[in-house]
Amino acid sequence: MDEFAPLDCLLPSGKQKICLVILNQPIDERYFHVLWSKAKIRACADGGANHLYRLTEGRRESFLPDYINGDFDSILPEVKAFYTQKKCKLMETPDQDLTDFTKCLAIMVEEIKAQKLQIDTIVTLGGLGGRFDQIMATLETLFHAQKMTDLPVVVLQDRSLAVLLQEGRQHHLNVNTGLEGKWCSLVPVGSTCLTTTSGLKWNLVWAPQRSRWWSGPPE
Amino acid sequence: MDEFAPLDCLLPSGKQRICLIILNQLVDEQYFHVLWSKAKIRACADGGANHLYRLTEGRRDSFLPDYINGDFDSILPEVKAFYTEKNCKMMKTPDQDLTDFTKCLAIMLEEIKAQKLQIDTIVTLGGLGGRFDQIMATVETLFHAQKMTDLPVVVIQDRSLAVLLQEGRQHHLNVNTGLEGKWCSLVPVGSPCLTTTSGLKWNLDNQVLAFGQLVSTSNTYEDHDPKEGRKPVKVTTDKPLLWSMGIKPQ
Repeated sequence: MDEFAPLDCLLPSGKQKICLVILNQPIDERYFHVLWSKAKIRACADGGANHLYRLTEGRRESFLPDYINGDFDSILPEVKAFYTQKKCKLMETPDQDLTDFTKCLAIMVEEIKAQKLQIDTIVTLGGLGGRFDQIMATLETLFHAQKMTDLPVVVLQDRSLAVLLQEGRQHHLNVNTGLEGKWCSLVPVGSTCLTTTSGLKWNLVWAPQRSRWWSGPPE
Repeated sequence: MDEFAPLDCLLPSGKQRICLIILNQLVDEQYFHVLWSKAKIRACADGGANHLYRLTEGRRDSFLPDYINGDFDSILPEVKAFYTEKNCKMMKTPDQDLTDFTKCLAIMLEEIKAQKLQIDTIVTLGGLGGRFDQIMATVETLFHAQKMTDLPVVVIQDRSLAVLLQEGRQHHLNVNTGLEGKWCSLVPVGSPCLTTTSGLKWNLDNQVLAFGQLVSTSNTYEDHDPKEGRKPVKVTTDKPLLWSMGIKPQ
């Protein structure tokens, strides 16, 4: 099974070929430049365009997204006018049942196919902070993403990264990029997960003498 | 079934008798004063004490917590020394399997019992922002809380409030305090939830909420006659279901 290095996308020398989605949260500038320069396709979901616009003041023409989608209830009129005038694709996606992020991803997957691009990872800036229901909606999008594509969809905000691990295969996460912080976490969002791990300080292992799954340091 | 008004705790005239827990996130000053003044017991979980210390500079003696618990790996030495010297109970709780928040809640419940207090709600400041695993840990604590107490445990940060709705009963949520923001949400965090609601713009009629299928976010309240108040939001679920809602900016 291939290894996947979640933080490879933030390494200037990283090997992954990526696409970038910008959501409606303040953009981490230290990540933005690395990701933007590497990304084959760059998109904003609705209000994500406001943050791009603000961050790139003075040199906006060098940072034009390939498309901006959404119901356009968050994007500021001035921002929408600017990117429209610069001929970025503005794609109104009013579907009430799916979030702007999910729709942005759907378009991204189509564009990757249409342009016949070799892509390894879709990286998302934002999504893990702000309105609590929107954080939950980000997780929901990660579930939908698994039905839309086999590509990992990684979400980054502040100093957290999240990615949904699919069932039914062994994941090998390379955590040796040098960018790893000190914490990590496995959370069974949505349902109970029967889990085995190695490489963590507290692994999940079947403890036959206790007839239960055990999470803790080795006994 | 009694009504529960999640935002009552933020109303100066609110009826709920509360206890307060401060977690290791920036303390929203707008909420802090209302909550602190109403709370019968006030506690900090580890680094929560740092935020209390900073926020109350110049008048710290008027804002001493009843206890501070934790592994004490987040609380600053200066802060720990200050509250120790002021005789706040410092309770080292090094259990690795439970978070500082869960342990703080356990102590809170013991104190409520020991002091024979009538309490309606435990209110928590922080827990919905910052490190992503800590946000998830907050949700985990809400699950543990349901085994520890029948009292609702409400979590507030920035302009979001979250509370876990137990299975097996009809919840009547009073959303008429005037502090309600425009959004609300029902999220089946731990398992699919067979859900029925009324009072929402997009209601559920015996439908399954489940990640990857249907999760209710960016919902809102049904239209109502401005002369009358909003009707309570009613929710029934067969598994614990996370309700969250926006708080109007003050």
